[in-house]
Amino acid sequence: MRILLVEDESKVAGFVKRGLVAERYAVDVAPDGKQGLEFAQTYQYDLIILDLGLPELDGNTVLKRVRTVDTKVPVLILTARDAVQDKVSNFEAGADDYLTKPFAFAELQVRVKALLRRGPVNRASTVRLRDLELDRLSQQVKRGGKRIELTIKEYALLEYLMSNQGRVLSRNMIIEHVWDESFDGLTNVVDVYIRHLRKKVDDQYEYKLIHTVRGVGYAVRDENQA
Amino acid sequence: MKTKSLRFRMTIWYAGLLATALLLFGSAVYFGLERLLNQQLNESLVRQARTIGDEVMVDFATKGTHYAVTEIDESYEPAVNARFIRVTREGGGFVYRSPSPRDASFDSAKIADVVGDDRSGYAPRLIAGNGRPMVIQGLRYETPSGDAFLIETGAPYQLIAAQLRSARLAMILGIPVFLLAAAAGGLVLVRKSLQPLREITEQAERISSTNISQRLPVARTGDEVERLSLSLNRMIERLEESFQHISRFSADVAHELRTPLTILRGELETMAHQRPHDSESLEMIGNSLEEIDRLARIVDQLLVISRLDVGQAGIEREPVNLGRLAETTAEQMRLLTDEKGIMVTFSVEPGVVVSGDRLRLKQILVNLLDNAIKYVSEKGTIELIVRTEVGRALLGVSDTGIGISAAELPYIFDRFYRTDKARTRATGGAGLGLSIVKAIAIAHDGNVSVTSSEGVGTTVWVELPLADGYGVDETDSECESRVGVEARQFKASPKIS
Repeated sequence: MRILLVEDESKVAGFVKRGLVAERYAVDVAPDGKQGLEFAQTYQYDLIILDLGLPELDGNTVLKRVRTVDTKVPVLILTARDAVQDKVSNFEAGADDYLTKPFAFAELQVRVKALLRRGPVNRASTVRLRDLELDRLSQQVKRGGKRIELTIKEYALLEYLMSNQGRVLSRNMIIEHVWDESFDGLTNVVDVYIRHLRKKVDDQYEYKLIHTVRGVGYAVRDENQA
Repeated sequence: MKTKSLRFRMTIWYAGLLATALLLFGSAVYFGLERLLNQQLNESLVRQARTIGDEVMVDFATKGTHYAVTEIDESYEPAVNARFIRVTREGGGFVYRSPSPRDASFDSAKIADVVGDDRSGYAPRLIAGNGRPMVIQGLRYETPSGDAFLIETGAPYQLIAAQLRSARLAMILGIPVFLLAAAAGGLVLVRKSLQPLREITEQAERISSTNISQRLPVARTGDEVERLSLSLNRMIERLEESFQHISRFSADVAHELRTPLTILRGELETMAHQRPHDSESLEMIGNSLEEIDRLARIVDQLLVISRLDVGQAGIEREPVNLGRLAETTAEQMRLLTDEKGIMVTFSVEPGVVVSGDRLRLKQILVNLLDNAIKYVSEKGTIELIVRTEVGRALLGVSDTGIGISAAELPYIFDRFYRTDKARTRATGGAGLGLSIVKAIAIAHDGNVSVTSSEGVGTTVWVELPLADGYGVDETDSECESRVGVEARQFKASPKIS
């Protein structure tokens, strides 16, 4: 998988590249819009990560030019601007996803992964992790064969964590996915729900599956495998 | 009428000045008139005496007393003209004395012999007469033949007095009427010339931070009012500029902070991932990441506020059922209230629909509920109130929390303001939650207010405009079954098995 990263801020480009390379992606970095456009027109990329505030050519123009040639390559926008109008105009210009700075790398990772697996997503009806089992069709959750009763929100939260098992999900991602924007940043609603979910899913078992990553968020994973 | 209004004061001044001027003018006219009339009378009396001397008495020596008496009676008809005429011969008796006039204004016989001591004549003077004042004068006349006479002529003063009385009456009646008419006219004129000022005032009242791009009406009259409105407009323009500066400044700062925050976060995350760490360094990195998160949240919230400050751009309007939104939001936050054993009650008038941005309105609810939850003690109560009042929707979030002191109440909607109690609690907020609530309410043409008493609780009220045509939403099927205001507790939320 080859990713083009167009970002003028070398430090941002640096850690994004390092992180993506660690995930075994091939990453090219272009420091300005002009070079970014040349790269995009020269090579075949599986994904373009595009910063909006760029020297030479701004991100919007790059996006529009790229789209005139290649309508398929997924484009993830990185920006410090997050007004709804900006988002709308970027989606209209052909962006596929949008990430506002400052972002958690974990979030970028999840979005990159989601964009790269475009097309019919393989969503098995049952997700498993060790002895925890979640059935999307019947919305049933079992651990060790024993049924666990969850509220709607608890189920939505566990489903989101299980679908991204092994990955760290930030509070923002969880809020956007399970609640909505209006809960953003103010409440500790996520922590409280995680606590309740833990009580039901983990407390009686020796192997803990729900993990806190300090400063980043939460993940469901089998620590023994990692 | 307000006694302090410019209109009132101007009219009073104007009427007062006019009254003084009229009084001065009136008395001048009156006294002038009195003098003039006196003078005329005096002159006519002297003239008459002189004529009597020149035309009648001159021939006294040759024609005798009888001639004189007949001549004077015929020529002057003193009885008809109400004149007093008396001719006395020097060293002799009366030659002539007019009879009492027909109108009996005086009695000739009773007029004292004023001449007694002075036979050389005297100037006109006012005497009591026989009870009524009259003016009388004496003229000494010497005929060429050597006879000397004192010719006295007089007239009742009554004539002048009557004229002066009517002049006085005209003034006493006329001046107030004239003043009243002038004051009324002045009031109308002042009102007319102040009308543009009133329009300017009304428009200026309407201009606030959300519609500061509006301007005052300018009447192109070239007068002071135009100059005033023009300079006020320039002032509003400067205000608008500085408003925009502030707004742009916080937006710029927020934007500029985002990239370094991204870098910090990225580097710290990489650090946490790549190298093996002892638990202490991991803890430090975790702490730093959490603080970066907090900074990022503040930056986000500042941006939200500065965007709302700019005005109503970005507010998507749709009809939103406020009561239902309150219930679903509270439901979504139920675990937070459950954890503290807080009871949430609703006092929701069904079908209150406002026009607004659903997400933003929900944010109001989330922020207010979040605050309430923070400050309510265990087993407290939070009440959510939705109702209409004088054509506006009211949303109230009332809690039985620690309350806010009266001294701090005016500031709680200010940015970054936190009450002392909030500061001592590790609640982690930046003090922007209520400012966001206020900014959202104002961007919706609404407003916020708060009542609180320490130790008892706090109620925050958000006032929002109702959606057009929705006083009460009849089509709201969910609400049809409920009648009137109801209070109910949460039902158990549906479980998934």
